[in-house]
Amino acid sequence: MTDEPHDTSTAAGARTSPEPVGPVTLRVADGPLFAPVLSRVVSMVLARADCPVDRLDDMLILCDALAAHAPAHSRDGHISLRIDTRAGMIELRVAELGRGEASELVADAQLPDVGNVIERFSDSCRIEPAADGAGEELVLDLRFGTPPGGRGR
Amino acid sequence: MTPDLQLSLPARAQNIALIRHAFGALGDTLAVDEQLLADMRLAITEACSNVVVHAYADREPGPLEIDATVSDGKLTVVVRDEGPGIVPHPGSPGLGLGLPLIASLTESVELGRDELDRTEVRMTFALSGADHRHA
Repeated sequence: MTDEPHDTSTAAGARTSPEPVGPVTLRVADGPLFAPVLSRVVSMVLARADCPVDRLDDMLILCDALAAHAPAHSRDGHISLRIDTRAGMIELRVAELGRGEASELVADAQLPDVGNVIERFSDSCRIEPAADGAGEELVLDLRFGTPPGGRGR
Repeated sequence: MTPDLQLSLPARAQNIALIRHAFGALGDTLAVDEQLLADMRLAITEACSNVVVHAYADREPGPLEIDATVSDGKLTVVVRDEGPGIVPHPGSPGLGLGLPLIASLTESVELGRDELDRTEVRMTFALSGADHRHA
């Protein structure tokens, strides 16, 4: 008997695309819990979105970078994220950052001989004001859909 | 007290696996005993399944929220939804064993509504033998 519930919604032998998880909001205390929870939740969201494994690897590298650097920029000892998938892409939004903290978080992810991990492994990296006006959010997009007639990445 | 872990996602059956994985990570981090972790995940699965099946029956799935807080050697997990509350369901497809099962797997369980009038199931687990340094 396996540990996880199985998707029994498909006919015997058939395999259909799983339904996306939907938007997930995650708020984790700054500490040892953050990295393992983030990587497992993101992995599940991407698996549900039929993300290829090479892009899953890229996203997990991004998660490692966030786990290493986001706690230094959290406002109240917690890190807030919103994870959402759309057709062929995932958006990971690091919320509740103070003013100026998002750009500092990105800058912290610079590695010698590698470059900036966040900028290098995401397809889009932008900073947006928080909806409540109290701070800002770092928004990372990662695309994994294959465009018509072309290869994804 | 601010929870150590808060998760909110649509109340869909397939999302319960994600919640189980998140609590697997929590159990690994806290070095929770394997049997206790299995009990925790089963109780949490039951509570979340109740939300999926009953809270938003005959309408679009609403939010399923889970909080976890570690304090004084105990893990408190609260499962919330915006449904009508926990009421008898004579026509339910289940065996009606969900809540008794949760009660048997937890140190304590409380059913109620929070300050925002959301339905909540509050479960407490004793983390005996676990590494409590995280708290």
